[in-house]
Amino acid sequence: MASLKRLETEFPILDPDFQSFCALRGIFTVQDFLIRDLQSLVADAEQQPSSERFMQAINQVLYVIDGLHQPWLNGVDLMEDAQKNKHVLSTGCEGMDFLLRGGLRRGQVTELAGPSSSGKTQFCLLTASTVAYKHMGGVIYIDTGNSFSAKRIARFLNQISCPASEEMQPRVLQEVMNSILCHSVYDIFSMFDVLHCLESKLKYQVMCRGDNDERLIIIDSISSLITPILGSSGSQGRALMVSAMSLLKKLAHEYNLAVLVTNHTVGGDGGIPKPALGESWKTLPHVRLLLSRDCGSNTYQVSLLKHPSIASGKAAKFIIND
Amino acid sequence: MEVGRLPISAALKGKLVSAGYTSLSLLSSLSPSHLARDLNISENEALDILKHAPHDGRIDTSGGHHIISGAQTAWDMLHEEELLTRITTSSVDIDNILGGGISCREVTEIGGVPGIGKTQLGIQLAVNVQLPVHCGGLGGKAIYIDTEGSFMVERVLQIAEACWDDMLANNAISQNVHAGQVGMQPKDFLENILYFRVCSYTEQIALINYLDKFISEHRDVKIVVVDSITFHFRQDFEDMALRTRLLSGMALKLMKLAKKFCLAVVLLNQVTTKYAEGSFQLTLALGDSWSHACTNRIILYWNGNERYAYIDKSPSLRSASAPYAVTARGIRNNVSNCKRIKLM
Repeated sequence: MASLKRLETEFPILDPDFQSFCALRGIFTVQDFLIRDLQSLVADAEQQPSSERFMQAINQVLYVIDGLHQPWLNGVDLMEDAQKNKHVLSTGCEGMDFLLRGGLRRGQVTELAGPSSSGKTQFCLLTASTVAYKHMGGVIYIDTGNSFSAKRIARFLNQISCPASEEMQPRVLQEVMNSILCHSVYDIFSMFDVLHCLESKLKYQVMCRGDNDERLIIIDSISSLITPILGSSGSQGRALMVSAMSLLKKLAHEYNLAVLVTNHTVGGDGGIPKPALGESWKTLPHVRLLLSRDCGSNTYQVSLLKHPSIASGKAAKFIIND
Repeated sequence: MEVGRLPISAALKGKLVSAGYTSLSLLSSLSPSHLARDLNISENEALDILKHAPHDGRIDTSGGHHIISGAQTAWDMLHEEELLTRITTSSVDIDNILGGGISCREVTEIGGVPGIGKTQLGIQLAVNVQLPVHCGGLGGKAIYIDTEGSFMVERVLQIAEACWDDMLANNAISQNVHAGQVGMQPKDFLENILYFRVCSYTEQIALINYLDKFISEHRDVKIVVVDSITFHFRQDFEDMALRTRLLSGMALKLMKLAKKFCLAVVLLNQVTTKYAEGSFQLTLALGDSWSHACTNRIILYWNGNERYAYIDKSPSLRSASAPYAVTARGIRNNVSNCKRIKLM
């Protein structure tokens, strides 16, 4: 929130007289301007000796405020944005790509739920390797359970690049692995810190270069951050969950990132596992997937619970090799 | 964040608010001299306040090109992982399926039916962590948190003596005996195990909260064994939602400990039955939401008359089983009856 003092350098009409006029009424920043009663301010200004200048200054501030909200978009703009920016990122897993018609879509938040040891972390590591290698994009991996394994990423990269089981060139491997960043967070507030920091850095990148390098954010797993705060008396836990998701969706849309979050399952009716985090969570992600593993094997089954443009209920199988 | 929450004196807060700085975003990218002039305070105090302001993206930190401070690239982590040593379990077969032993910076959960050897394995690890690095340990101390009362000091001494014998035998074979190297006596092993006994779940949670401060003062602790993590949470808990919240909070704290101090955390768990797919199956206790609170999971089970360890969950290891035996000397490889018992 810019203070009026700082706006003075850009708009000299907001001179110190106007600033002290506002300060007397408790208005120091643009935010205060929005909160206070504008009509009474205008009425006060008209009674001042330099009323015309004050009116001009008020109009100037209102003009600045108008320029700050998100622009109105129509359908054609959205279509252009979707075609130009919101491409699909392959996950490296044929069955999953087939189910999702290409893979994870940039600009959308995908949830992967599954019981313990059903392959969620393996899938996240595989997707991270694929996006870093095939799409030459940066990956931000937020890890809550110390399960990020760089060795596994190196093995996946070797599989993807040289199917004839040769070793990848160390220089190429280093370059690809340098684009995967891993950060460990252990509570939801640290996650907010990381996301805010990421947002400001992305804004800076777009300002300087017009495009950002990052393509994918993975949070493994978001449910272990939300479960300790959800459900106690008071709705603060749910509020934090919703605001975390809205921040992720904003990052996804504005900077054309795909977001993948993992969730665990709890027992539902009849012993069938259902995704955790409750009813209010169900509406938050764009795409929801349920994963399971055949006992002791490398074959995984995934079914689609929710998708904006594909009918739910479809299922697929895939194998992740060692 | 509001200025009212900054850790500065109330007088400074009052000056900030009356000058119009009600939120931290107003302080970003402000120079200390400017702030000092505005508030009529010294430059040092202005610097103190600005420390808490969020850094603008324009200020390129010198800590490298990372987009988030505190993150590491996968390449750096690969090299770190290769350098990490592991704690041997004294059974070569189990070490093989674990890729060398229990790894640091990870939370490993070990579960099994009563009598399978969970406490024995916990005690073996608490002794093994004190071995020097070339013998498979980390040369550090152990913290043993006992919730059930199954820690027997005489058994620890027995295992420590066997371990010491093995260490001597190995050193004699490799002809690497220096006078000072094998300076540990079996009793020294006991000195390096820090033992806590907890009698209720509140004590358990309080202790885990306290461990952060404790381990910062005792930096040579390299393993924390909790035996068992379930005991106080299984009975007398009416509010299951509260139990889930407490357990997941505890899991996150243990993860943070493991990562921050680069130590191994081993949690021993009990079993319960679960109704799944039409039949009752044995599964680890504390429910589904706890089952993903560990990095690795090892399940101990009986196969006929032999004990087996099975890797149920791991980010980088393949699922595999290995047999082991609980002997008078501790956890060792399982040798079938028809083979001669070889020296370790």
